[in-house]
Amino acid sequence: MFEKLAEKNNKRQSLALMAQYLNTCFIISTTENEYLVNIEKGVVKNVEKGPFVMPSYVFKLKAPENEWLKFLQHTPQPGSHDIIAMLRRKVLKFEGDLHPLMSHLLYFKLLLASLRPVESRNEN
Amino acid sequence: MKIEKEPISGQYGKFKIDGIDYRIYWEEAGQGIPLVCLHTAGSDGRQYRALLNDKKILEKFRVIVFDMPWHGKSSPPENTRVGNYKLSTDFYISQIMSFINGLELLKPVVMGCSIGGRIILHLAINFPDKFRALIGLQSAGHLDPYYDISWLHRQDVHGGEVCGGIAYGLMAPTSPESDKFETMWHYMQGGPGIFKGDLFFYKFDGNIGNEIKKIDNSKCPIYLLTGEYDYSATPEETKSLADTIGIEMVKMKNVGHFPMSENPKEFLKYLHPVLNKIN
Repeated sequence: MFEKLAEKNNKRQSLALMAQYLNTCFIISTTENEYLVNIEKGVVKNVEKGPFVMPSYVFKLKAPENEWLKFLQHTPQPGSHDIIAMLRRKVLKFEGDLHPLMSHLLYFKLLLASLRPVESRNEN
Repeated sequence: MKIEKEPISGQYGKFKIDGIDYRIYWEEAGQGIPLVCLHTAGSDGRQYRALLNDKKILEKFRVIVFDMPWHGKSSPPENTRVGNYKLSTDFYISQIMSFINGLELLKPVVMGCSIGGRIILHLAINFPDKFRALIGLQSAGHLDPYYDISWLHRQDVHGGEVCGGIAYGLMAPTSPESDKFETMWHYMQGGPGIFKGDLFFYKFDGNIGNEIKKIDNSKCPIYLLTGEYDYSATPEETKSLADTIGIEMVKMKNVGHFPMSENPKEFLKYLHPVLNKIN
C-alpha cells in the first residue's frame, strides 16, 4: 500500500528539497500492516513492510486501512483529503515525537498524496 | 510596455482601537453599498483580490478589505513584543467598528470568512441595526481544538512552513493549484504567533453557545455559505447554526476553507446570487 513511497518520491527532487535537512524514520500503520519509512535528506530511502519485532521509529501515523484507502483516492471526499482532516474525524492518530512531522507538515502531506493515482497538485 | 492595471487602491490610516493607535492598511474598489470583507486567521486582505476585481460586484458595491492589526501591511501597536498577540472577541469587534466608523460607512454589509465568519455572528447578536446584511463564510458557532495549536508558534519550527502546511490541507483537492499556492503563501508570510493568536478567538474566546438564539434575522439578514471540503467549520456545523437562526445555508461544492481565494471562480457563482438580494 505504501511501498511505492520511495519510488514516487525519488522521482521528485522538488519534494526532497522541501525537507533537505530532514532525516527521520516513521511508521504508517493500517489495521493489517505497518510500513517503516526511512527518510534521508528529504529522500525516501526505503519502505519496509511489517510485521516488526522491535521497530525503531520517531513517530507513527495510525489509521484503519479503509481510511487510508479513502485518502489515497484520485479525488478524495471531504474529510479524507488531508491528514489533519482525518485527525479531526478521529480516524487518524499521530503518535510519538511529532517534531519532524510538524516542522515538515506540507512535505509529509504532499509525500502521502503522491500515492494518489493522478495527483491534483503541482509536480516537478 | 502596457501593463494590466487592477481597479484596486490601497491606503494607510491611523485608527484608535480601544484607546490605542493602530496603523491600518486597507484596499478598496467599486462604488455603492459598502461591503467590508474580513480575512481569515493568520492571513490578510489579499484573500479578497478576486472580489476587488469583479466588475459585476464593483458596479453595485464598494468593496473594502482591511488587514487586521499585526496582519499583512497593518502594523502591531507601539511598545509591544513578539508573542504578545492574542485576539479576543472584544478586540476583534472593536477593530471592525473602529474601521467602519473611521471610514464613516453607513450600514455596510460585512462579510467574513472563518474567524470573520464567527465574528459576524457576534455582530449580529450585538449590533444588528448597524448592518445592512451580514455574510458568513465558513461560519460555525464554536470549534473545539482538534490539533495542538502550540505547533504554530515554536522557535524550533519555522512558523511560515507549519502555518502554510495547515492552511494547505484546509483547501479542496479540486481547487486550482495556483490559487491554493497563493492562499498558502499568505499564511507563510504571517508574523510569528499571529495565526496562533487568532485561533485563541476561534477556538476559545469567540465560541458562542446558546447566545446564537439571540440572532434575529429580521433585524439584519444573515447569509451563510460553507465549502464542502472545510473540516474546520464543516457544512454540517454551519447547517446546525443556520437551523438555530432559522435560515437556509449554502453548501459550496469543490471549495474548502478559503473559497474567495482558493477557488474564486467557483465561489463567485455562489456569492453573486447572495449579493443580488442585498439592496
